[in-house]
Amino acid sequence: MKKEMLTGNAAAAWGVRLAEVDYIPAFPVTPQTEIIETLARWIADGDMASRFVTMDSEHSMITAAGAASATGVRAFTATSSQGLLYGFEMLYAVAGWRVPLVMVNVSRGLSAPITLETDHNDVLAARDSGFLQIHCETCQEVLDSILMAYRLVEDERVLLPIIVNMDGFYLSFTREPVEVPNLERVRNFLPPYQPKHAFFKASQPMAQSVTALGGSLYSYFKYQMHLGSQKALEVYKEVCVEFEKEFGRHYDTIEGYMLDDADYVLVMTNSFSTLGKAAVKRARARGIKAGLLRLRLLRPFPAENIQRALTGKRAVAVIDQNISVGKGGILHSDVASCLCNEKQRPLLFSFIGGLGGKNISPGEFEFIFTELIKAVAGEAVEPSQLLYTEEEWQEMVRLKRIAGKE
Amino acid sequence: MLMLRVRFHGRGGQGAKVASRVLGTAAFLEGYYAQDFPLYGAERRGAPIAAFTRIADEPIMERGVISEPDVVIVMDKTLLRDHQAKPLSGLKKGGVIFINTPQSPEEARAEYTIAGQIITLDLTKICLDILQRTVISSLAGAVAAKIVGLSEASLKAAVEKVISEIVTDSVILEKNIEAALYCFHAIPAVELKTTEAVQMESRVFTMPFEPAAISSPALNTTGTTVLRKTGNWRVFRPVWDYDACNKCQICVARCPEGCILVNEEGFPYVDYENCKGCLICVEECPAKTLGKEREVHAKADSEEVIG
Ligand code: SF4
Ligand code: SF4
Repeated sequence: MKKEMLTGNAAAAWGVRLAEVDYIPAFPVTPQTEIIETLARWIADGDMASRFVTMDSEHSMITAAGAASATGVRAFTATSSQGLLYGFEMLYAVAGWRVPLVMVNVSRGLSAPITLETDHNDVLAARDSGFLQIHCETCQEVLDSILMAYRLVEDERVLLPIIVNMDGFYLSFTREPVEVPNLERVRNFLPPYQPKHAFFKASQPMAQSVTALGGSLYSYFKYQMHLGSQKALEVYKEVCVEFEKEFGRHYDTIEGYMLDDADYVLVMTNSFSTLGKAAVKRARARGIKAGLLRLRLLRPFPAENIQRALTGKRAVAVIDQNISVGKGGILHSDVASCLCNEKQRPLLFSFIGGLGGKNISPGEFEFIFTELIKAVAGEAVEPSQLLYTEEEWQEMVRLKRIAGKE
Repeated sequence: MLMLRVRFHGRGGQGAKVASRVLGTAAFLEGYYAQDFPLYGAERRGAPIAAFTRIADEPIMERGVISEPDVVIVMDKTLLRDHQAKPLSGLKKGGVIFINTPQSPEEARAEYTIAGQIITLDLTKICLDILQRTVISSLAGAVAAKIVGLSEASLKAAVEKVISEIVTDSVILEKNIEAALYCFHAIPAVELKTTEAVQMESRVFTMPFEPAAISSPALNTTGTTVLRKTGNWRVFRPVWDYDACNKCQICVARCPEGCILVNEEGFPYVDYENCKGCLICVEECPAKTLGKEREVHAKADSEEVIG
């Protein structure tokens, strides 16, 4: 199979095309728009047999996608940032309907202030909704994850919607070699969606998402969503094996990089993990036993895998490209929760970096390793720090002066 | 230590919530610790609702639903056969049941096979006589105040306070006080000698995984409304006068329940099993030919089981 240069957005569109999706409600938002433009063009040219509808907002778009999914067709939609938040109410609703919708989110920092560049507060805001979440490092992974996503969530043991996430600009507009799989092989891996259980049909009236007044009814439905999501960890393993069999690429829930014998570990997600891996290589060259753990499946949270990967390490730095204002790094809390009962737990530190697409420079990675080594040696280290450089601060000083804020 | 728990069962629009507030306020004004709280679903006139009042001489360390009441106030007797409202469930031994009905306690006991102390009074009739309406909140609050042994003065002050927060019309307020005091005196004083409820053992259950085909909030069946006939929600029933009706069918179009049908001659008729008595049809009839009659629930609810 040959490779071609594709952006993350084009790779996403290819994933949708190969999955032979039936219905795509859409609404444009930077940096996602290229996905739906590509799909619209293919449909107009007759290369794809899907129905494409431009909606009036993301709220309607997610509703339409979820409702279509509830009739038993394969649906897709995509959004980003403010758009995701505009449709937010429907995320919980669609998840509660237990429909296997696949949605791509192209991560972009939330306003205010307005930015177009990436961080993960948008997608992580949806982490408690019931949508599963896969976070991608490469354009290839975006395409592959969309195929895996349909297979995973259409499984009768799961039936929950899923978000496949990629970073705005850093993946969405970045071209790199991507192998576009052959349609026949995709069909082997992902057969047409034919739900066996009850779905809306004209011949069979039913009510979906009925009211559940009374806490014990509500608890049942809500907790079953949780159990379904947990079940997805098991199903994911099978999907992962099947995918590798068909396409030769392996994607676990987490990915270790030089991790096995590492003492000092970075925990990262998405495209900036590539920068982290380079930093690990440089640290190794300096004689530091560095490693990296990339979290790929964030919901369901693969707590056991993370535990196994990190217990026995000396010190771990979770780099959160997000900030829970008033608390700190979101993933730091999640990682801490699955390590706190381990006897051999590592020292755990939180670093906020890459907000609004801010670069994480080699110097900043070096700083992290220095801090981890200090901590292991017994020196005091701040539990939570921001990655920000002198030069960046000087630039802010200059801009504040221009803004009349001295 | 004194702790009394009173549970009101009514239908949306009857004033169960306000009744629980009248009782709570009266207890509070008399120097007790008090707590009141209503529980209702999406607002629907006629739907069963419950409200709760706790009265104690120490700070109250409870919240929410009262599952083991000392006193139950049944503001609509059709609820006695409602398998979801279950007004008698959990009533403590020695507890008191009040029922809003023209029946005597003995008649009610026989009809509903109820054990325990029963008190009855036709609150709806008293309310219609004095207030010309069917919102019996102050009356039910007054009955409860008498049963738990609060004073007339506290009740009067409570009705004044609670009702004046809702209506500005001083005539309505005065009539509420009059009706409340009438009921307070009309029922006998009782001695509440409930024993502490035995704490039911509840074991935590580990919920098993069930696939979404089972565990999604969906109904795969149709016709489930037969399990919940709304016909016994009525206080008044609409009645048609075919001599005056011009067959315009506006009532048919306006009925929110869709339960008015049209017969072969083009006259509207109603499915009384499901008509909930909102009287929108009466309001909307342009010929003003639709009338209303006080409902007498003799046998309408007989097929439902006692809770
Ligand atoms: S609205 Fe009145 S006049 Fe018209 S059909 Fe109904 S009852 Fe008859
Ligand atoms: S009272 Fe009239 S409008 Fe209301 S449910 Fe009954 S028939 Fe319908």
